[in-house]
Amino acid sequence: MDFYLGLIQIIGVHTLLGLSAYCVLQTGQVSLAQAGFFAIGAYVAGMLTVLGHWPLIPALIVAAVLGGATACAVGFPALRVKGLMLVVATTAFGEAVRLFFFNFNYQLERGELKIGPHGGEGFRQIRYFPENGWSTLEVAIFIWVIVVIVMAALWWMDRTRAGAVLRAVGQDEFASQSSGINITAVKVTAMTVGGVIAGIGGGLFAHYTTHIEHVQFGVALASFAIAYPILGGLSNVFGTLIAVIFIQGFLIEGLRFMGDWRNLLFGGLIVLAMNVRPRGLIDENTSALFKRALWPRKDRAGA
Amino acid sequence: MDYLDFIDTIQSIADGVLFGATYALLGIGFTLIFGVMHKINLSYAAASIGAAYASLLILAGFKVPPAFVFVLSALCGGVIGGLVYWIGFKFIPLNNPLATLMSTLGLLLLIDEIVVHTTQGVPLAYPVLFSDVIIPAGPFNLRGDLIFVFMLGCICMVLLLLLIYRTRLGIATRAVSQQPVASALCGISTTRVNILTFVITGVLGGIAGAMIGAAIGMLSPLLALPLTVKGLIVCVIGGLGSIPGAILAGLLVGGLENLFQFWRGVSERDLYIMLLLFIFLVFRPGGLFATAPGRD
Amino acid sequence: MKGLNIAAAALLCGAAICLSDGAAAQERIVKITGFGAKSGVVRVFGVNSEAAMKAAAEVINASGGVTLGDGTKAKLAIEFLDDRCNAEEGISVVRRIAATDAFIAVGPTCSNVAESLFGILQKKVNDPSDSGLQFPIIADVAAKGGLAKISEWAFRNVPSEFEMYKSLFAWLRKTHPNLKSIWGGVEKDFAHSNATFNVMIQQAESNQFQVLGKSEWLLADTTFSTQVREMKRANPEIVVISAHPFTTCGVLREMERQGVKPKLLIGLTSSSSIETLQGCAKQAEGIIIPTSFAPVNAEAQKAATNVAKHGGSADLHSAAAYEIMFILKDVIEKQKIMARPDTVAADRVKMRVGLAGLKTTFGLLGTVGRTEDREAIKPYLYVHAKKGTWQVLHTP
Repeated sequence: MDFYLGLIQIIGVHTLLGLSAYCVLQTGQVSLAQAGFFAIGAYVAGMLTVLGHWPLIPALIVAAVLGGATACAVGFPALRVKGLMLVVATTAFGEAVRLFFFNFNYQLERGELKIGPHGGEGFRQIRYFPENGWSTLEVAIFIWVIVVIVMAALWWMDRTRAGAVLRAVGQDEFASQSSGINITAVKVTAMTVGGVIAGIGGGLFAHYTTHIEHVQFGVALASFAIAYPILGGLSNVFGTLIAVIFIQGFLIEGLRFMGDWRNLLFGGLIVLAMNVRPRGLIDENTSALFKRALWPRKDRAGA
Repeated sequence: MDYLDFIDTIQSIADGVLFGATYALLGIGFTLIFGVMHKINLSYAAASIGAAYASLLILAGFKVPPAFVFVLSALCGGVIGGLVYWIGFKFIPLNNPLATLMSTLGLLLLIDEIVVHTTQGVPLAYPVLFSDVIIPAGPFNLRGDLIFVFMLGCICMVLLLLLIYRTRLGIATRAVSQQPVASALCGISTTRVNILTFVITGVLGGIAGAMIGAAIGMLSPLLALPLTVKGLIVCVIGGLGSIPGAILAGLLVGGLENLFQFWRGVSERDLYIMLLLFIFLVFRPGGLFATAPGRD
Repeated sequence: MKGLNIAAAALLCGAAICLSDGAAAQERIVKITGFGAKSGVVRVFGVNSEAAMKAAAEVINASGGVTLGDGTKAKLAIEFLDDRCNAEEGISVVRRIAATDAFIAVGPTCSNVAESLFGILQKKVNDPSDSGLQFPIIADVAAKGGLAKISEWAFRNVPSEFEMYKSLFAWLRKTHPNLKSIWGGVEKDFAHSNATFNVMIQQAESNQFQVLGKSEWLLADTTFSTQVREMKRANPEIVVISAHPFTTCGVLREMERQGVKPKLLIGLTSSSSIETLQGCAKQAEGIIIPTSFAPVNAEAQKAATNVAKHGGSADLHSAAAYEIMFILKDVIEKQKIMARPDTVAADRVKMRVGLAGLKTTFGLLGTVGRTEDREAIKPYLYVHAKKGTWQVLHTP
């Protein structure tokens, strides 16, 4: 049982990571900086609970605020460019954040032990959950309460004017600009929301893996962040969730019985999925189909 | 001591610039595919390394001159390039850049893992050419093998430019890149042009992979991801679609990398490079040879 | 994988029937699960560990298997899971193993996975306020210093690099009294290399070597000219490199190119594998590395052949996995492990107590000591690269 609960934790946190990229992708921008915001969240939340003895929730709030603030600060200059330029510019920023933590050394003496981030050797013993007696189930529920809140908020946002504006910018910048939308403000807002979500995700990540180091927050993680929403489809938040379940649940854990073949299939099946469903596992048509089939239950699924 | 420092600074930059030739070769490939299809092929660097590996594995057990291994690598590169097009681009609608971004990311992982599975991830020695040639230039030393790579990059560039501006295929390629629908109406087979672009860039990638292998003396699957990032960086600094830009950018990245290595040490080196890149892209989004900033 | 295991189990049963003449009807199988990286650039570690565990299990089974707490004999079967050298996956894998009847897991190969993994274990036993996982794990490869300290459920059978380099530098002081200056080189972004480098430098200094400075590079770096030039300027007598085979070879090639010829070369334990020789045998000629495994005695040679038969190569890492199987057999028999589905929790506790209580264990190069914080003190020797092979230079 613990195994499945652990997997559910991982799926929850990766969903947050994917959703942070989902927000930015809504405006038609591909950002590889999400791993950077995720790293900021992880280190900040970890330092607050371990070094500052803060409870987890305030630490996560600070992580979210800092993640969002960084995203906002980066968004202003970065979102002047788009397309491949933005991909590389955000990669550069994400890598810069990772390398900052590679050089980041802040250790406190605690008895004989030194605790805190230690440059390239990482930040060990972020054991808030076990030290406070949280069971795997409780951690999983905690993570998923946050995931559900974030998903519900995004679902709601998708349906409001804000969502329409985001999509308008994503689908045709010139048209939306001509109809009076301030596209820079929209993009930066999307980036900031993405940063907040990534910050929370990172904070949770640090606590369930108990050890973080700069290597974890590299280009690979950033690629996964955008892979989830793209693979899942951008029509609604459930696409991202489905893609996370597909990658973390099926490709990584579900195929474990394939042994050596598993990792070969990993890349291969992503390629296949994109060939078969180029607009994502859940594209507009699928979600329309679901909506028709599940019309009476739509509200419950959304809340 | 000051004089020595100065000499060492120049030497570091020179070494870096020369090594940058390998980045330039990769950058050309990225930029060419982008120029024709307006798509990013993330699997390009992995495919290049894969081609170099393939040439090594096919010839395992035979005693052949290094030049032969390089040629075979180029051929393998062409084949892999064609396959990449077939698997990662052919069946995905053209107007969907995100889907091909993902499919090539999948291919990157797939190619890397195939390499890992055939070699257990162990670094393999790659045949070297001119590696013992050191050309002394005053107080400096220049690596012969890297000068060879650099020359090769220049030759590739000239050949490519000839191909693009002097042959029917080149005209077709440019037509497809500018107006795909119109060129299809004129009877140009878009698929054929796209496939040929991939094969040509694949051949170039195979050469790049072999040159990287020769310059390092070894191949490791460890290289795929960092080289992908470097190739992309070179491609955008040079200006998308600009071949001379890619070459210049490759050398520039190589030189800057070594300069910061010399000044600030390794842990801060990439940090500065990345921040510089970020600032550069934000304020000069068109790259080195941009005509008008801020345009796509 | 599953199919393979069944096939392996069937084969084992078959072998058992041949050996024990029908008594095999009550043969029981105890499954030992290993885990580590079997994909990505460090795949070779997982492949070797798996081969070593299988080889050792075969030897144990051939001599009758293990005796369980209720007196029955059981054969060992090995399963090996891939964690891709990824912390989250490592945690998943261990939770998966802990969900079965397993009473121990062997792994992981990567230090970064071990860090996270040992973190989710209960820190102190019998601490009801700590909800960490209560499951013993014994690591074979993850070599970063001091990992087992993280949890009382974590054990390691990895060589203590601190002891190895301490004795190596003391030995160098004695045998090369006229050498003084040292230059260091370190793969800065790899936690294990970096931690070991600090050990090396500290030991060099306490043995009156003069450390002139250090060059640093990253794991995936491809050009080392600047770093080697710093080295060349300092003109050291000894060069110490703490890096894995890929960059070790890169640096050695650049040193050859720039004509840096130190009188002695010292390398990182992990580079004493076949990979360095495959990558750059010529440049690595003469490099001295302390290691906890070399086929120097009959037992070690037999182990190396057995591991090779299972498709791996025996080096200091996989030899540890090989030894672990014998340690486990010992503890299973001493602690009277029942290995029944209804005794899982008790078996795990007994296993932990048994492992913690060990004072010495079996080792291929001789008896291995155990420390208070669940680490091993393994016998070691120094090897050097000579004409494309590793040869024993000195046995302290």
